[in-house]
Amino acid sequence: MRPVAAASDPTRHFFQPIIICLTVASVALTLFVIWISLHDLSLMRAGREKFVGLDNYIRFLGDPRAMAALWRTVLFTVLATVIEIALGLAVVLFLDRDFAMKRLVRTLLLVPIIMTPVVVGLTWRFLFDPATGMANYLLSLVGIAQVDWLGSPRIALFSVLVADIWQWTPFVILLVMAALESAPTDPLNAARVDGAREWQVTWYVLLPMLRRALAIVALIRAIDSIKAFDLFYIMTRGGPALSTETLNYYGYIVAFTNFDISYALAIAIILTVFTNVALLTMYSVLFPKTGDR
Amino acid sequence: MLNRRSVLMLGAAAAALAMAMPASADDKPFNGVQISVLLEGHPTTDAIQKMVPEFKEKTGIDVAIEVVPEQDITAKELLEFSAKSGRYDVVQNNIIYLPGFVKSGYIVPLDDFLAKHRENFDKADFVPGYFNTNVLDGKVYGLPVYGESTFVMYRKDLFEQYGLAAPKTFEDIENAAKTISEKTDKQIAGITMRGQQGIQGVYVWAAYLWGFGGSFFDASGKSALATPEGIAALDAFTKVLKDYGPVGVANFGWEENRLLFQQGKAAITLDATVNGAYNEDPAVSTVVGKVGYVPVPMKSTSPKGGSSSLAVHSMYVSAESKNQEAAALFAAWATAKEQQLKSIETDPNSGVTSLSALNSDSFGKRYGAFKEGMIAAINAGNPQYLPTVEQANEIINNTGIAVSKALAGTASAADALKEADEANNAALAR
Repeated sequence: MRPVAAASDPTRHFFQPIIICLTVASVALTLFVIWISLHDLSLMRAGREKFVGLDNYIRFLGDPRAMAALWRTVLFTVLATVIEIALGLAVVLFLDRDFAMKRLVRTLLLVPIIMTPVVVGLTWRFLFDPATGMANYLLSLVGIAQVDWLGSPRIALFSVLVADIWQWTPFVILLVMAALESAPTDPLNAARVDGAREWQVTWYVLLPMLRRALAIVALIRAIDSIKAFDLFYIMTRGGPALSTETLNYYGYIVAFTNFDISYALAIAIILTVFTNVALLTMYSVLFPKTGDR
Repeated sequence: MLNRRSVLMLGAAAAALAMAMPASADDKPFNGVQISVLLEGHPTTDAIQKMVPEFKEKTGIDVAIEVVPEQDITAKELLEFSAKSGRYDVVQNNIIYLPGFVKSGYIVPLDDFLAKHRENFDKADFVPGYFNTNVLDGKVYGLPVYGESTFVMYRKDLFEQYGLAAPKTFEDIENAAKTISEKTDKQIAGITMRGQQGIQGVYVWAAYLWGFGGSFFDASGKSALATPEGIAALDAFTKVLKDYGPVGVANFGWEENRLLFQQGKAAITLDATVNGAYNEDPAVSTVVGKVGYVPVPMKSTSPKGGSSSLAVHSMYVSAESKNQEAAALFAAWATAKEQQLKSIETDPNSGVTSLSALNSDSFGKRYGAFKEGMIAAINAGNPQYLPTVEQANEIINNTGIAVSKALAGTASAADALKEADEANNAALAR
């Protein structure tokens, strides 16, 4: 499809007003949030707030709990994104052939995606229950002692990660599958005719064709993992010993347990800036300006 | 189908018909007034919702009740209060927020309204320990809807089997937990308590804190958890749970703890008095009649406060309400003895705040097994059991992290409590 010059594109009458509305709304809200983060608004002292400049941001830099939460967010995001992409891709390549029940399998893959995160969290909390949960029961069959999935600070974060992977890998599978089905088959066949082995075809021809789709899915998953909240809230409440407190969850505690709205919004802004910088870096690595695409 | 509400309505209608004189408008000065009420999801709320039609019948006041889970109610109230929205005339919450509400001018004293409506308000009928937590500077700010305390629950059958006496001290608890855990080869946990980070763990650990003679604050109002008493209390708490507690206890909230004990998989627990109602309910419990209830121990000879809790949830009238008198009338009616007596019949409400309800036959029939233990716990209940200062929530959260760190073994009790003190004092200074 040839790109139409924007000025003569009749659809602009539909999308321009929407874009303008959204821009105005988000800019206004962002400015309001920044304005509040420069005060010391607490719900317990409403009406007594004053302008404090950058105090909340300085407080953040000297707050070890916030720094640890930021590091945990990075760890969780990297692990969740990498594992979900790798696992999703592996499943797609495995499913990349015509077989009976393909439609059924695809439908079943949708189940975790459409489940409410709260339900997913509760389900995994039951599965990970040390005394009555399925996870330890299965381990006991092969003679492994009870694992304290959610009560051990060394393991808890990874237990939440497992739930996240279970919920979101199917999303990766669906998008990559769609990309794969729309990919041209000629280059693959040409490579096969030239005597390339199957793994070589996959590695040198197929994966470069999927690169763009994978990159976009990775971006979406990374943004979602940074914002992950429901699973942490339901499964561990940030415990034990802060081992599952991400920056987003810490912001929630500051806002709705400590009622320190200004500091919570400062945390939110820092998280937003940090996320944007990280994702822009990731984007420029994935889509270099030079190169073929 | 004739549900309970329609039966109540019929009864109320019949009562109205039976009266010789029809009620005139003068009897109902509030006829047509509408108030909105925000309540916690709780058995008492269910009971009040069933009785509201009677209130309208009696006063002509329209009541719209909104219900949210307890953990979300404070944030919701504060958002409405600080926005001066006047959306709710009556709100419910734990009394630990009362000082903050009063200081911010969010709620109004009720004395004048209560004096006008004696027929719905009998101060002498409330459990004194519950009522007094609602009084600040000599003024009444709230009316207690439900309350609870804490006690020690133990399995009488197991104690008998292994020749143990009812636990009176913290050492007794530890010895019994050790014995039963070892004798049953850990098939039955010696003890289970809430270990989850946050309010859950703190609510139970505070029993140890006060019992060992510690306190949240020193005389000057500074956070003072890392005292020898506080450190000993945290060491004792973590030791029994680590050595004789169930796997996973570090993430146990109220529910997990209650279920484990109800299923007969633990020999001792220290928790809220409301758990007694679950232990003695054959529909959900396998230990009906096998549980003994004794007070939380007191180790210190010069305690700074009682070691059993006193949690009271009250109704308050918003300062932004346009109908404060009607709102106060509703709060008084909903907590009056007649309504509390009815609530025991319709819902599993063992937390009544009315002495008549507490001493009624139907209460004794349902909750007789732990009634004495509960009343003893309430009478010894410590109104300062959890911090009540403005920053209470943040202080509980910081303390919860210390308890969780010590329990998980990522920090020593002394270091974890020192860290909590620093965070608490920073919060108090803000």
